Amino acid sequence: MKNSFPKLLVLTVALTLTNRVLAQDTVKVGVLHSLSGTMAISETSLRDVLLFAFDEINNAGGIKVGDKSYKIDPVIVDGASNWPLFAEKAKELLEQDKVAVTFGCWTSVSRKSVLPVFEKDNGLLFYPVQFEGEEQSENVVYTAEAVNQQATPAVDYLLAQGKKKFYLIGTDYVYPQTTDLILYKYLLLHGVPEANIGGGFRKDDSGKVISAGKYVPFGYTDFQQIVADIKQFAASGDACVINTINGDSNVPFFKEIVAAGLTPSDCPVVSFSLAEDELRSMPTKDMVGELGCWTYFMSLKTPENKDFLKRWNGWLTTEDHPGVVKEKRAVDSPMVLSYDGVYLWKEAVEKAGTFDVDAVRKVLDSGDISFEGPGGKITVQPSQYTTKNVYIGETRANGQFKIIKSFDQVPGEPWMLKKLDADLAAQGK
Amino acid sequence: MRTSFKRELGLVGVAALLIIIVLPCLNAFTAEENWLHVSDFTINVYGKYLCYAMLAISVDLLWGYTGLLSLGQALFFSLGGYMMGMYLMRMIGSLGQYKMPIPDFLVFLGWSNLPYIWKPFSSFAFAMTMAVLLPGVLSGIFGYLAFRSRIRGVYFAILTQALTYAACLLFFRNSLLLGGNNGFTDFKFVLGHDLREPATQRGLYIITGVALLLVYLLCKWLTTTKFGKVQRAIRDSENRVLFSGYSTANFKLFVFVLASLIASLGGVLYVPQVGIINPSEMEPEKSLEAVVWVAVGGRGTLIGPIMGAFAVNAMKSWATRAYPDLWLMFLGLTFILVTLFMPKGIVGLPAQLGVLKRRFWPAKKIENPVANQPAPDAIKEEPLAKAD
Amino acid sequence: MGWSFGSTLLFKVMKSAFKPFCYCLLMLCCLRTNAAPAPETASTNVVRQELAQVILSTGTEQQKLLNELADSGSKLANDVLTAWTMEEVYLYVASDGSKVPVLLEDQQDADGKARAIRIIDGQFLKDADGKDLRFGDSDLNTADTDMRLRSSIQQALDTLALSNPDPDARFSAVNKLGNSQKEIYIPILQSRLAREKISYVKKAINEAIASLQLNDTNPAVQIAAVQQLAALNSMGSLDNLNQLAANASNSPQLAKEIKRTVSSINEHIGWVNFFGTIFHGISLGSILLVVALGLAITFGLMGIINMAHGEMIAVGAYTSYVVQNIFGTGFAFHITLPFSIFSKPIAFGLILPGLNATGWFYQSYFLFAIPLSFIMAALAGLVLERAVIQFLYRRPLESLLATWGVSLVMQQMFRMVFGANNVQVNSPNWLLGHFTIDDVSFGYNRVFVIGFAILIVIGTWLLLSKTPLGLLIRAVMQNRSMASCMGVRTTRVNMMTFAFGSGLAGLAGAFLSQIGNVGPSLGQGYIVDSFMTVVVGGVGSIIGTVCSALSIGTGDQVLQQLTGSPVTGKIVVLVCIILFLQWKPGGLFAIRSRSLD
Repeated sequence: MKNSFPKLLVLTVALTLTNRVLAQDTVKVGVLHSLSGTMAISETSLRDVLLFAFDEINNAGGIKVGDKSYKIDPVIVDGASNWPLFAEKAKELLEQDKVAVTFGCWTSVSRKSVLPVFEKDNGLLFYPVQFEGEEQSENVVYTAEAVNQQATPAVDYLLAQGKKKFYLIGTDYVYPQTTDLILYKYLLLHGVPEANIGGGFRKDDSGKVISAGKYVPFGYTDFQQIVADIKQFAASGDACVINTINGDSNVPFFKEIVAAGLTPSDCPVVSFSLAEDELRSMPTKDMVGELGCWTYFMSLKTPENKDFLKRWNGWLTTEDHPGVVKEKRAVDSPMVLSYDGVYLWKEAVEKAGTFDVDAVRKVLDSGDISFEGPGGKITVQPSQYTTKNVYIGETRANGQFKIIKSFDQVPGEPWMLKKLDADLAAQGK
Repeated sequence: MRTSFKRELGLVGVAALLIIIVLPCLNAFTAEENWLHVSDFTINVYGKYLCYAMLAISVDLLWGYTGLLSLGQALFFSLGGYMMGMYLMRMIGSLGQYKMPIPDFLVFLGWSNLPYIWKPFSSFAFAMTMAVLLPGVLSGIFGYLAFRSRIRGVYFAILTQALTYAACLLFFRNSLLLGGNNGFTDFKFVLGHDLREPATQRGLYIITGVALLLVYLLCKWLTTTKFGKVQRAIRDSENRVLFSGYSTANFKLFVFVLASLIASLGGVLYVPQVGIINPSEMEPEKSLEAVVWVAVGGRGTLIGPIMGAFAVNAMKSWATRAYPDLWLMFLGLTFILVTLFMPKGIVGLPAQLGVLKRRFWPAKKIENPVANQPAPDAIKEEPLAKAD
Repeated sequence: MGWSFGSTLLFKVMKSAFKPFCYCLLMLCCLRTNAAPAPETASTNVVRQELAQVILSTGTEQQKLLNELADSGSKLANDVLTAWTMEEVYLYVASDGSKVPVLLEDQQDADGKARAIRIIDGQFLKDADGKDLRFGDSDLNTADTDMRLRSSIQQALDTLALSNPDPDARFSAVNKLGNSQKEIYIPILQSRLAREKISYVKKAINEAIASLQLNDTNPAVQIAAVQQLAALNSMGSLDNLNQLAANASNSPQLAKEIKRTVSSINEHIGWVNFFGTIFHGISLGSILLVVALGLAITFGLMGIINMAHGEMIAVGAYTSYVVQNIFGTGFAFHITLPFSIFSKPIAFGLILPGLNATGWFYQSYFLFAIPLSFIMAALAGLVLERAVIQFLYRRPLESLLATWGVSLVMQQMFRMVFGANNVQVNSPNWLLGHFTIDDVSFGYNRVFVIGFAILIVIGTWLLLSKTPLGLLIRAVMQNRSMASCMGVRTTRVNMMTFAFGSGLAGLAGAFLSQIGNVGPSLGQGYIVDSFMTVVVGGVGSIIGTVCSALSIGTGDQVLQQLTGSPVTGKIVVLVCIILFLQWKPGGLFAIRSRSLD
C-alpha cells in the first residue's frame, strides 16, 4: 500500500512558508470577517467598506509616517463563521503576516475567540459592531456602540413617549442576555414595575433575577407563539417590544408581527440588530414606524454623509475587487464605524510616526484622536471605547430610517451592569 | 499483505519521527530568520490538525471498519473539549475581565458564587475522568439502545445526527451554565504552564502527536486481532455474522464506545491549543466534515483518515485566505470529485493511477490480471431494503 | 382532538350568545343619549380646507383641527390622514415660498414620476403655463410626522374609522379607543353601537365601553362594567382589572366581582392558548411537511441521502425573489472572479428588465412564482441527477458526501449571484393579515400553508398511485434491476423522479419565502428537520411523512407552550424522536419486507 503522506506534509509546510513576500513601502493590514457561513450575511458588507476605505487612502497618497508614505496592503481572510478558525486566522495575521492592525469580527464570540491571540501577540483590533460592553482590553479599540449608546437611549425615548410595558425578546447569546439584563435594571431604576416587563425571568436560588426576557436560538424561524404572547401582553395598550434578535431570525419575526396585525402605533418594536443593510431583506412596507437606534443612519443629511455616500457609490461602480456585490447596496452603522476605525487608526499612526502597536495605542489613549465621520465626530476615549452621536430613527417604507431624535457626543460606558447595580443600591431597590 | 503492512508501519514511523521530533526541534532550536525555522503558528495549526486526525480515526473505526456511519462524532469530540475547557476556565482564576474568582460569563449572567456543577472541575484528574466518563456513558447508552433495536445504515446516521443536533441546541442555552453560544475562551494556564508560552504549545503539540501515534497503533493492533476480523465481517455482511452465532450488537457497542473515547481524547487536546470551545463545534456540519476527511483520505485504512484530516484542513486554511470568496466552491467540488472518481480516497490514488497507466501504456506482460479489478476488500453498500 | 375542538367551540358560541341579551339595557341607553348621525354632513370643501391647514399647522391648533376632522366622518379625511402617516403627503414649495400640501397620483410615467394633487382643492398642480407638474418620490419633501403626532392622527383616524365601511377597520379602531383610558370616547362608542350590525364589532364596542367604564366614579357602573367584561372574556382589560383590584377603596362586592372576572378571563386565555397552539402546531407541521415531501421522494423512495435538498428549497425561494423583481423594477447581478485573463479580471453579469407592474398585477407575482419555483428546482435537480447522482445509486451513503459538496457549491453560488445578504421578498397583500375566531387568531399565510400542503400531498399521491408514470416510479424504486429487465427505461425514470422531488423542494422554497428569510443558507436550517420527518414517518412512505410532520409540528408547539421556552421544546422533540426510533426502527409506517438488508 503506497502512500503520499510525507509528500503532502512537505507541500503544506511549503505552502505556509511562501506567504512571506513583502512589497516595498506598503503596510499590511488585516481584515478578519466571515465571508461564508451564517455570519456572512452581515460581515461581507464590512469587508467591502474596508476595501473602499483602503482604496480611498491609497489613492490619496497612503499613510504618511515620517517622510515616507505607505500604501495599505490588505490581507483579507475568511473566518467562515467558525470561531476556532477565527482564532487560527488571527494568529496567522499577527504571527505570519505581521499586520500592523486588524479590522474585524462581528459577533461577540468571534471577538472573544481572537482576544487571547491579540493579547498574547500584542496586536491591535478595531471592533465595529454594537455589543454588550463588559469588556475592556488594551488590544481592542471599540468603535462599536456600547449599551449606553444604543439600548438605554432608545428606552429613554420610549419612556418619554409614554410607554409603560416592555416586552424583551432576543437570541440566546451573550449580547441580548446582557443587554436585557441591563435594560431590566434600567427600567426598574426608572420606576417600571417588574410586572410590566414581559418575556419572563430566570432567578437564581436567592431569588435574584439573572436573566430577563424571552430567548430563541440562532436561526429560529417559528415565532407564532411568541407573537401570540406579545399580542396578549400588548392587549392593554401602551406596550412596546425591545428586540435583540440577531440577523436572520428577524425576518420571520417581523413577518409574524405583521401577520398578527401588531402595528407600530399600537406596539412599536425597537430593534438593536437591525440596520439599513438588514432592512433590505425585511418587509419594510408593512413596518413603517418601527424603531431603531444607532450612531449612524444612511438618511443623515449632513454634508459629510452626503459626500461619503457619493464617494461610496462612485467606488462601487468602478471597483473591481472580487466578491463585491454592486447592486442594491445600503450603508449602515457597523459599516460606517468600520470606515471610521480605519481613519482613526491612520490618524493615530501619523501622529505617532510609527506603526508600532504600543506607540499607536499610547496616542489613541490620549483622547485626542478623533475623526469627522459620516455619522458625526467620533473620538477615542482613554478606555478605548468611543464617543459619538446617537440617533433614534423610525423605519420608512423604502428601508431607510427617519431620524426622530439625536443625542450629541455620548461617551461609551464599558461597565454598565456595575454602574446600574450601584444606582439601584443607592435607590434602595 | 505482510510486506505492505511492514511498509505502512515504516512510513508511519518516518512520519511520526518528522511530526513528533523534527518539527518541534526546528521550532525550538532554529532562529526565526532561518529558512528551516518552523513558526509557532505552524506548530499550533498542525497541532489542531493532529486533533482532527484523531476525530477522523474515530469516524473511520466506525464507518470504514464496522460499516456504521456516525454523523455525531463531533459531539464526543466537543464533550471531551468541554470537560477540558471547564478545567481550563477554573485555572483562569481571578485573571478574567471582572477579576472575579468565577468565570466571566457567570458574572454577567448575574452569578456571584460558583454553581455546584463547576466546583469539582478545579481538579485536572476529575476533569479527565469526566472526559472519559461522559462520552463513554452517553455513547454506551445511545449505542445500547440503537444496536439492541438493530438500527443500522442510514437510520443510524440520521439518529446520531439528531443526537448531536439536540446536544448542540442544549449547549447553546445560556441556562446550562456552560457559556452558551460563546462557550469558553481566554484560557491562561494548564497544569501550571502558561498557555500563551510557545513552549507550552510545543509541549501540547508533542503530546498530541504521541497520543495520535498511540491511538493509531491501538487501532492497528485491534484490526489485526480476531476482533478486528469480526468487525470487518459485520461491515461486509452483518447477517452472516449474526447467523454464525456472534452477538453483533455487543461488538458494535464496544467499537462505538471506543470511537467516542478516541474522539473525546482529540477534543481534550484540541481545546488548549485552539483556545476556544463552543457549541458550534457540535453542529451537524462538523461531524459531516469529519466524515468527509475520512472519505478524502481513504476509508477502511488507518492512515487514510489522518491524511484526509490533514489534506482537507490544510486546503481550508490556505483557501480561506487565498480565495476567501470561492473557497467553499473548491471544497465542495473536491468532495464531489473525490466521491465520484476516488472512491478509495488519497490512499487508493496510487493504485488508481497505476490502473490508468496500465490502460494507456500497457505493460508488455501483465503479471497480475486481478489488479484491474477493484480490491477485494472494497466496501459495498447495499441499497435500502425495499419490498420485494 | 377533533370532537373536543368542536364541542368546546360550541360551548363557547353558546356562552357568547348571552352577550347582547345581558346588555340590551346599555344599548337602549346608547340609543337615547346620542343618536345624531354625524358622518358625511360636512361639506367636502370644508374638510379639504381643514386638511390642508392641519398638515401645515403645529401644536394645539393642529390638535384642534384633528379633532374637528375626526368628527367630520369624511372618507376623504380618512384617506389623506392615512397617507400622511404613511409619509405619502408631500410639501410643494410654491414660487412665493408658501408650502402646498400635495398627494402624488398612483399612476407613474416611464420616469417613475407622477402628477401631484393639491389637497386643498383636489386639482392637479400646474406650472405657470398650465401644464401638469410631475414629481418623483424624492423630488419633494414629505410632510413630516413624529410618533406623538402620528398617535394623534391615529386617534383621529380611529374615530373616523368607527364609521369605516370595512368591519375590520372598525374593529381595530374600537379596540384602540377601548385601550385609550379616555372616558370621552364612551358616548362616541355608544352612538356607534346603536348603528353597528356586525356581531364581532358589537362585541368589541361593548368591551371597549366596559373597559372605559372601569374608571367610572360610580361603583354600580364599575360593577356592571366588570360583569360585562367577564361575559365578554375580555383579555385586553386584564391589566386594567388587576390595576383596579389593587385599589384598596373598592367595595367588597366590586372586589369579589373583579376576582371572579379575572379568573374567568384567565381560563379563557387558557383555551385560546390551547386552540392557538393546536393551530400553530398544524401550521408548523404543514411547513415541515412541505419541506420534507421532496425529500420523502429523493431520500425515501430513491434512497439518495440528498444533503443538497436544502439548496433546492433555496432555488425555489430565490426564484420567487427573481419573479418578484421582474414584476417590479427588474433583476441584475454582476460577478467578478479572483482570476484574470490578460490582467483583466474575469467578470460577467446579467440584466433582466422589469415589468414595473403595480396594483393587483404586481400582487399576483406569487401565483407565477409558484409554478416557476417548481420548474427551476426541478431543472436544477435534473442537472444534479445527471452530473452526480446517477453514479451513486449503488452507494447511497456516499451520495451523502457528494451532495454535501453540491450543497456547499450551491450556497456559494447564491452568495455570488444574490449577495451574502438575505433578499427581500414582499408577501402579496392577500397573504397578509389574519382573522380571528373567539380570540384565536389565524394568519392568512399560515392558513395558506396548510391548504397548500394538503394540495401538494394530494397531488403527489395522485401522481404516484394513479398515473402510469407513478407506476413506473414505484417499480423502479422498489427494484431497479428487475424493472430494467421488464423494459422500463430506468435512467429516465430516475431522472424524472429526482427532478420531481427537487421540484417539490422548490415549491417549499416559494412558500418559505413568504414566512421566513431568503438567503444563501436558507436550506441549512431545514435539512436536519426534513431528514427527521422522513425517517420518523418511515422511509418510503408518503402517508408516514404526513403523519410524522404533523405530530412533530404539534409536539414542538405544545412543548413550547408548556415549557415556555422555544429551545427546550425542540430538544425534547429530538430526544423523543431518538427514543421513538428505538421502539419502531422502521418509523411510523415501516414498509414490510422479507428481504434481509
